Amino acid sequence: MRKTLIGMGIAVVMLCVITFMQGGWTLLGNGLFLGGRIFVTVIPLIIVAFTLAGMISILVSEEVVSRLLGKEAGLKGILLASVAGAVIPGGPFIFYPIAATLLVSGAEIGAAISFVAAKVLWTVSRLPVEVALLGPKITFIRYGVTFIFPILVGLAANALFSGHTVRIREEIRLLQRSDKA
Amino acid sequence: MFIAFCVLLIMTVTLMTIAYRRGDGSLVRGLKAGRGMLMGTIPLFLLAFPLAGLIQVAIPADLIRSWLGQEAGWNGIFIGSIAGTLIPGGPYVAFPIIAAIINTGASIGTAVAFITGWAMLTIMQMPYELTFIGIRFMTIRIISMLIVPPIAGIAAQWLFGGGF
Repeated sequence: MRKTLIGMGIAVVMLCVITFMQGGWTLLGNGLFLGGRIFVTVIPLIIVAFTLAGMISILVSEEVVSRLLGKEAGLKGILLASVAGAVIPGGPFIFYPIAATLLVSGAEIGAAISFVAAKVLWTVSRLPVEVALLGPKITFIRYGVTFIFPILVGLAANALFSGHTVRIREEIRLLQRSDKA
Repeated sequence: MFIAFCVLLIMTVTLMTIAYRRGDGSLVRGLKAGRGMLMGTIPLFLLAFPLAGLIQVAIPADLIRSWLGQEAGWNGIFIGSIAGTLIPGGPYVAFPIIAAIINTGASIGTAVAFITGWAMLTIMQMPYELTFIGIRFMTIRIISMLIVPPIAGIAAQWLFGGGF
């Protein structure tokens, strides 16, 4: 937690300097204002997202998550997590808290990676925007050639990094220190 | 954004109703668990948003446009994959920028590598990922996904762009 905080603090300071050198106070002000505006517009989403993550953590027992998305679930868990990722709407401040909750409740690393990959590649809610702004041809080619990857990256992560799942769970618990209740 | 909010709200209210019906204090425990998670991550949150805003202004779209230009073939795919990760913002911000770059004459392989790079590996989402899941997960996720944008670009060029 502290290391992450310091690292992100340093990144903010460095970006402030870079932005200032590029465009002085105006650009720096623009960047900070933009960040503030994103924050204000997503406050309702954040509150709902954390309520949802909290309800999932209580309602969905560790036994169920382990069975559906845990180590033993294997390919089935990866497929299920991918479908969940495809239908969940909203940005990173929504799907990362939910992925964290699933991991802590017993999901395996591959399932969590598939969830995120399906969210960013398959996402149903972005499809209309993508068609409207990029055109149907590029959109369908893009969906077509990336379709298999949420499953593949999950399988790869399980094969290569399965040993890290426990450490990742510890890291999440440390980040959400007051979640021990 | 509004639709996303409504869908999430429906999901949340449904789960809250289920929890309430259980009648064993699940509702209150769920709300407390959610508040706990939020409170725990607030300090990081307060850094994540200025970080996201600054990344957005620090990387000018013109620069990326000039990188890609008329690039095609293998070069286009690899430059596209990297440039995609630097495109700021959510779909409403990013897609117009991506469309402008594609319209400058990039090949289908470059376009697909570029969009996939943006979707999977955008640096904009990393502050949130660090905040909620931590650096170990992020590192593993990036390693697992790194190869996808170029492969997607190559596949698109091969299948739909008449090869190289």
